[in-house]
Amino acid sequence: MPSREVPDREVPNRALPIREVAGTDGAADVGTAEPPSDRSSSGWPLLASELAVLFRRRRTWAMMLALAAVPVLMAIAVRASSAVPPGRGPAFLDRITQNGLFVGVTAMLVCVPLFLPLTVGVVAGDTIAGEAGLGTLRYLLVAPAGRVRLLLVKYAGAAGFCIVAPLVVALAGAGIGAALFPVGPVTLLSGDVITPEEAVVRLVLVAAYLTVSLLGLSAVGLFLSTLTDVPVGAMAATIVISVVSQVLGELPQLEWLHPWLFSHYWFGFADLLRQPIAWDAFGDNALLQAGYIAVFGALAYGRFVTKDILS
Amino acid sequence: MTRKWLRWMPAVAVPAVIAAAALAGSLPASAGDPLPAKTPAEVLALVAQHSAPSLSGTLEQTSRIGLPELPQAGPSSGSGGAASVLELLSGPHTTRVFLDGPSNVRVQVLDRFAERNAVRSGDQVWLYSSKDNTAMHLTLPADAGHTKDFGHYKHRDTGMHGVMPTPEELAGRLIAAADPTTEVAVHPEVNVAGRAAYNLVITPRTEGTLIGSVAVAVDGESGLPLSVELKARGQEEPAFKLAFTSLSLEAPDASLFAFSPPPGATVKEIEVPAHGTGHWGKGHWPKHGTESGVVPDAEDPAPVAPDAVPPDAVEPDAVAPDYRDPNGALARPTVTGTGWESVVEFPASPASAEADAMLSNDPLLQQAAVAVPGGRLFSTAVVNVLFTDDGRVFAGSVPAERLLTAAAAR
Repeated sequence: MPSREVPDREVPNRALPIREVAGTDGAADVGTAEPPSDRSSSGWPLLASELAVLFRRRRTWAMMLALAAVPVLMAIAVRASSAVPPGRGPAFLDRITQNGLFVGVTAMLVCVPLFLPLTVGVVAGDTIAGEAGLGTLRYLLVAPAGRVRLLLVKYAGAAGFCIVAPLVVALAGAGIGAALFPVGPVTLLSGDVITPEEAVVRLVLVAAYLTVSLLGLSAVGLFLSTLTDVPVGAMAATIVISVVSQVLGELPQLEWLHPWLFSHYWFGFADLLRQPIAWDAFGDNALLQAGYIAVFGALAYGRFVTKDILS
Repeated sequence: MTRKWLRWMPAVAVPAVIAAAALAGSLPASAGDPLPAKTPAEVLALVAQHSAPSLSGTLEQTSRIGLPELPQAGPSSGSGGAASVLELLSGPHTTRVFLDGPSNVRVQVLDRFAERNAVRSGDQVWLYSSKDNTAMHLTLPADAGHTKDFGHYKHRDTGMHGVMPTPEELAGRLIAAADPTTEVAVHPEVNVAGRAAYNLVITPRTEGTLIGSVAVAVDGESGLPLSVELKARGQEEPAFKLAFTSLSLEAPDASLFAFSPPPGATVKEIEVPAHGTGHWGKGHWPKHGTESGVVPDAEDPAPVAPDAVPPDAVEPDAVAPDYRDPNGALARPTVTGTGWESVVEFPASPASAEADAMLSNDPLLQQAAVAVPGGRLFSTAVVNVLFTDDGRVFAGSVPAERLLTAAAAR
């Protein structure tokens, strides 16, 4: 299925090595005139390349360092000041001095409304628009990778960042907490006590919950990224949408809308800190985010495969 | 051009599929086998003989009784004072209940980044609040196990009174209210927590009450009340609803009932009066950094939803201890009127003055109360409470005018 918009002939072959696209392995897809290759068409090399590019970027490292700075600053501030009275500041802040592992939970709690959506917005908004802005998108499409696969790989790259970002916060928090405060049995919200090992499992579960929570926003960012060639526009729009969703979620007059907002379950990870774990929020959240991925994935598909790629 | 259309098709189809799925999900699920038809009396008997020795389930509470709604903003869990009183009355709540035999009970009120626990194992009772990391411990006297009514027995033991009663408790009270003033009928069966249930609907036969109807869903299999719905007169949405959203009749993990206070928690021992009938659960609930009582109880005749039933609807023996301070600080209330139209009067006493002071000092509660000739009226969809200037308190599920008339008559 050749797409007439792609200016195949204009692209010289030597332009390809700009990105290490695993071109020889991929079959033809939408966007190229190549006949389908009989070899199994996997996007794994393309995905590996995408992840390598993403995590080698200085911008990505800067964002992860900024995320890691949140628990570090928090732990140092609590360490330097007097004891925090219960009920002041974010939840669990008063528990930090008793148990360093709570730094990870508190830091994730603090990062949920702004920092995590911010970084995910930057990554997701950059996916397609970033390549378009650099003028590399058409080269990516010249390689027999196909638009659909490129879209999938780009989304998987953003999802990879969604996995790493909360983990960075959790592990940096647990690390600095263990360095500055005593570590011992952890008290759950229900008053039951678990061992530090079990607590680390819960910490990773919370990070996984946040990963799932951010997947919907990533899909929105991917769609917005297909709309424009200006990456900053897509990033800003994604972040604005995450803020708007949270503001709408605070208005009681819009109660009917709340279960449909992708930020609705963002704070539901507290249910993972109960005994026994309440999985309802995790399941509802996953279903909601899957809906967002389906809707905005379909929108991104519709836009991207019909788009005139000029840069 | 047609090809472009095809490529936008998924973007149209996916939301359509989701909308269809959402619509299908909101429709009542068609039950496989309809329950055998039963008369109201048979359903009542089913409730009376029900036994659920062990269960674990999740309860949702929603209330729209017309109190100001507080935004649950921000990740902070700190809120105190009247905010937490109103918070219990308005807005949704989720509670998990674990039950294993008559003496192992655990109730968890799931708050935002916090949890309140009541655990009973044998004669040991623990109350724990994660918000301020406080625990309270009490040992039940030996004669505590002799109460007949299990629901009442449990709520007294766990001190959960006024916080979130189980449907069992509420249904017991409501069904006791069935008398000639009330129409009791079994409506088409409903589905609660995935179980087919009889829908017992109680409708007052008088126009002089704020209560429109009370619906109790009774599990067709076990007879366990699964939900209670209170509708105010002329309201389409239930004013108060308490229902299981998930329920399993299997025994929960035994380790759930073995509670010991976490390290670092403030532990308070509670002395249990030797006399077993005192309402000693009262006021023992961990307080959320507030001086005034968090749990609306006998000293606070504000419209706690469970008490929204006309007081005389409840058997006097069951309710009398709740309204009497062990120290006798609050005099016995007098009741005027009959059935659904009755009005309870609390004479002036230190306790009623205290409640009145709380009402007038707290800006949020003050906002909910309106000034009327001779006092202030605390008005909700299902109950009205009048604080007169001379310290008396009138309460009832009746229009405000009737309270004013009752106050003026004395």
